[in-house]
Amino acid sequence: MHPFFVWLEATSLSTWIRESTSVWAFPTILSVHTVGMGFVAGLNAAVALRILGFAPAVPLLELRRFLPVMWIGFWANAVSGVLLLIGYPTKAFTNPVFYLKLTFIALALLVLGSIMRSVFGDKSLDLNPATRKNRTLAWWSLACWTGAITAGRLLAYTYSHLTSKQ
Amino acid sequence: MHGFQIWLFRTFLAMKWVKPFMTSKWGWPFCETVHFLGLSLLMGTIGMFDLRLLGMGKRVPLGALHKLVPWGVAGYILALLTGIMFLGTEPDQYLFNTAFHLKILFMTMAGLNVATFYLGVFRRVKLVGSGEDAERSAKWIGALSLFLWTGVIVFGRMLTFYRPPDCGSEATTFVLTCIPLR
Repeated sequence: MHPFFVWLEATSLSTWIRESTSVWAFPTILSVHTVGMGFVAGLNAAVALRILGFAPAVPLLELRRFLPVMWIGFWANAVSGVLLLIGYPTKAFTNPVFYLKLTFIALALLVLGSIMRSVFGDKSLDLNPATRKNRTLAWWSLACWTGAITAGRLLAYTYSHLTSKQ
Repeated sequence: MHGFQIWLFRTFLAMKWVKPFMTSKWGWPFCETVHFLGLSLLMGTIGMFDLRLLGMGKRVPLGALHKLVPWGVAGYILALLTGIMFLGTEPDQYLFNTAFHLKILFMTMAGLNVATFYLGVFRRVKLVGSGEDAERSAKWIGALSLFLWTGVIVFGRMLTFYRPPDCGSEATTFVLTCIPLR
């Protein structure tokens, strides 16, 4: 196993995350990660559904006001995700599904950037039906977040090494 | 209460038809994934509505935004159905689990909160237009909704860490938090 994983797993932070019986260790980090997921994927889905034509009387541009909450969720998940990674580096980095998850998240963020430019940047789209391009972006957003959640869930079932010792 | 728990245990155990699927290689992971997709849909759409009740994105008329609520209900149903599948497969891991009891308590309170909303303020809230504030009681309901659904997720994640032990010979509390020896 890679010496970096061996070193990381021996640090006190990693050991605490993995082995502490405190509710504030693994259970809390995992809870934050899941609540954050709900807000990040969920608010992105709500915006995508509006672009696809559901709730047509909602002024689309105003939905950008909810994006700060989405970003709070995103950074909460980045931090809790890194902590989970510090706890089980070997488990994640030796699993191809983990890289798949990161790819889905990166793609989802690129799609979000595109939506911010071409939907939230165009005042004429506020109440008008979305263009073909924006509908495509909305479908991509739904697909990428679904992919990220699916890959994330499957991490618990597809790993080959729990720690560097196993 | 103990009798009720045992009855629930037997009832869920009788869902034998879920077992072959749930114990197959991808059955349980598939249901977990659907459970999480459902909760995200719920948090995103209902959460957005709650945040608007609290004053975020005020240019959105509440009646218009309410059209996304059926998606939240769809998410809830996905999570509920897959949740029943988990219960039908491993009933003792849930029915005697303190985290599950708290999760059910929070789900019940969230349900009562929804009922209060629709029986009480909804007919006024759906008329709240662009730039207008929802009434104070509706804001409380929105805040409570965010708090309770977050709690439901948290206690869901705590399930694994409150795995119930087998009951010893000592007397138990009002609600059984250990698996009665069969």
